[in-house]
Order: sequence, then C-alpha cells, then structure tokens
Amino acid sequence: MSENSPFLSISGLCKSYGSRVALRGIDLDLQRGEFLCLFGPNGAGKSTLLKIIATLLRPNAGQVRVQGYDLKEQPEQYRSRLGMVSHQSFVYQDLTVLENLEFYAALYGVEQPRQRALQLLEQVNLADRYDMPAANLSRGMQQRLTIARALVNDPALLLLDEPYTGLDEHAASVLREQLQILHDRKRTIIMVTHNLRRGMESATRLGILARGKLVYLQQKEAVDPSTFEQLYFRHLEAL
Amino acid sequence: MSSLRQVQFLLGKDLRIELRKKESLVSMAFFGALILVMLNIASGIGKQVAAENGAGILWVAIIFSSVLGLGRVFAREKENGCVAALLISPISAGEIYAAKALVNFTLMCLSELVLVPVFYVLFGAQLSFAPLSLLPILLLVNLGFSTTGTLISAISAGTRRNEVLLPILLFPLILPLTVLAVKATTAALAAKPFAIVLEQLEPMAAFCIIFTTAGYLLFPFAIRED
Repeated sequence: MSENSPFLSISGLCKSYGSRVALRGIDLDLQRGEFLCLFGPNGAGKSTLLKIIATLLRPNAGQVRVQGYDLKEQPEQYRSRLGMVSHQSFVYQDLTVLENLEFYAALYGVEQPRQRALQLLEQVNLADRYDMPAANLSRGMQQRLTIARALVNDPALLLLDEPYTGLDEHAASVLREQLQILHDRKRTIIMVTHNLRRGMESATRLGILARGKLVYLQQKEAVDPSTFEQLYFRHLEAL
Repeated sequence: MSSLRQVQFLLGKDLRIELRKKESLVSMAFFGALILVMLNIASGIGKQVAAENGAGILWVAIIFSSVLGLGRVFAREKENGCVAALLISPISAGEIYAAKALVNFTLMCLSELVLVPVFYVLFGAQLSFAPLSLLPILLLVNLGFSTTGTLISAISAGTRRNEVLLPILLFPLILPLTVLAVKATTAALAAKPFAIVLEQLEPMAAFCIIFTTAGYLLFPFAIRED
C-alpha cells in the first residue's frame, strides 16, 4: 500500500432489508487520522453504514477496503484494531466495571489486560467504581464505561453511532477529551449523529447522508459553521 | 492469539457470571428434581420401576431441565447487545460457538451431579448402580445436546418467542440421541454387559460428531443479523 492510499475506501456500497433500500451506492475514501462526522435524519442509513464497516452486516453490493485489504479477507485481524460505540453499551451487567474491561482486553489479546483496564478507568473517571457491578452504574457512568470498552484495544479505526445520546455534560466532556486524544494520535474516526453542534466540534470532515445516499462531503475548513445548518436542511429538502 | 485462549476467556466469563448468579444451574437442578419427584409420585411412591421406565424418567428430567440453561446462556449475550461486541472482536463465530457449547456442557454436567443421585434415591432401589456404564452415556448426551442446543438457541434468541421456539426446534432434532440414550441407560440400569451399552454408544458418538460439525459450520449464519 502506498503512502497516499486511503486508510478506508468504500465503493458502490448498497444494502437492502427486503424491499426497503438502506444504502444506495456509497463511495467514500478516508485517510489515516481523519475524523469524519456523518449527519443525517433517522432512517438515512447511518447505522447500517457503520454496521457494514464493523462487519456486523454484509452489503448486497460494493466493497469496503481497509488499508488496502477487502474486509472479507482476514476479518479477525481487521477487527482486532476496530473499536465501536453503539446505541447499546456492549457491557455485561453481571460483571463488575473492572471485570468487563479486563474481559474485553483479554479477548483483544491486550498484554496485561488488568493494567490496561485500570488505565482506562482512570481516563474515564471510573477508577473509584472498579468493583461495582455494571448494572448498578448510572446511565452516564455506563456510557463512560462503554467509551472505555471501545478503547480497550487502542483502535486504529473507531466507529461512533450517536455517542452523545443520553450523556450528561461530564460524560460528554470525557468523550470529547478521549476523541481529541485519539485524533491527536492519528486514529481514524467515523461518527454518525444528528446533533450538528456536537458533530462539528471535533470532526475534520463533514458529510450528510440522506435516503441511503452520501449527498454532501467536505473538509471542515471549507464549511462555514454558521451556515451549515441551513446547508444541511437544504440537502435534505432537495431529495 | 490462539483460538483456544479466546475460547477460554469467553468460557471463563460465562462460568464466572453463572457461579456468581447461579441462575441457570439452580433452576436446572431444581426443575429436574421437581420432575423426578412428580414422576415418583405418579408412578407410586416406593413402587418398583422397570429399567426401561427408569431410563425414560431420568432422561425426561435431564433434557427438560437442560433447556432452561440453554436459553439463558444466549439471553445474557443479547442484553446490551453484547453479542454484537463479540462479533466485532477478533474472536471468530466458530470460537464463540465452541465456548457457548462448552458452557452448556458444563452446566449439564453440574446439574446431573444433583439429578442422578436424586434419581437413585427416588427410583434406584431395584435398579443397578453402574457408574462406569452410565458415565459415557451422560457425557455423550451432554455433548450432543449442548452442541445442537447452542446452535438452536442462537437461532431462537433472535426471535420474540425465544422460550417457545427453542424446545419446539430442539426436541425433534435430538430425538434420535434421546432414544439411543434411553436404550443404553436401560441396559446400564438392568446391569446388562457393557457390550450391549456400547452398541448404543457408537451411534450416539456418530450423532455428536455430525451435529457438532453441522453446528460449527452453521453457527456463523445463525448468529449474524443479516
């Protein structure tokens, strides 16, 4: 793979659920270290796109290549450097906070999983709750644990599906901080949201997904933040 | 990282939760013992049962109680979408299948540590106690039931009527194994030579190989969303 080849390359991606079309030919290239924020209304196909990139769904047509490799080849190796924050917490309620992180760290083959788990608990300000069952955590704390879980393998590609939903201000600032650290370390991030303000805070590229199509894609510097909301609605109305 | 290590982590996590909550194990042992007590009352307390009837009673209690454990193992993964977390981790679907089948196998073995003694206390007065004959039968049924059951519970866990669908799909599939187990157990309880038990053990082993292979190959399709 050459220096300029994209880290992630998506071409002609289509996905249908029965007769309902979710994605209609998505083409997208992302360089290593880019932070793409995709906006779109409910049912635009945002979560479907992330699920395909995460190998949770198979596309009907099209291809996803990461670092030059087709996702179908060696998916386990690709997944070992993938992190995801979804609508669901992916946390075992009957395990303690530390046991959850330790289990995932071990599963990802992290050396010294306990140390990594303790380090992440410090980062998301949950170190004092390490022995608490996950079921007893508040919603905001569960979200912070979810963020820590997604970072357990130091992902090269992080997928975030509406990560700010239900977060209190503290948890939102923890997430922002962690995203900034990952971005500074050249990690590639894709976030989907319909919260325009949050999405624009940290992204380097902005996209709009509507009715299964990527109708807008631009570097953030080329976008005027004060008019982006109007631009967003104009693109939705045009369909 | 080796597949074996990943299976070990997943198995260890499930057993840790089970030992902490004891949801599946207690319900399996209690329900199985309850079936044995009810059948003991129905057949007349203190009355002698023939080896054929005894074998049937033992397997009804084990099979029906084991379904409770099967459903729970996957229901736990469905909570908070943990199954998706496993699917986006480096662990392969085959390794998830192996770990879940081993969890079910372990739970069945542990519940039988309660059910077999209860069976002998209630029905064993006139039956032969042949642990060496009974042990391979129990292990083979546990293997066949847990591998087939793991596949079926993965299929039914994705539906709204999980509890209903699981036994409806599973029982017809394991009928050949159950019939062979009843025949083998009858021979063991009647103190017949081991060669007669062995005649049933061979097809039981074949069943286990076929269903374990089929389960391993089909599991990735059963567990995925699409």
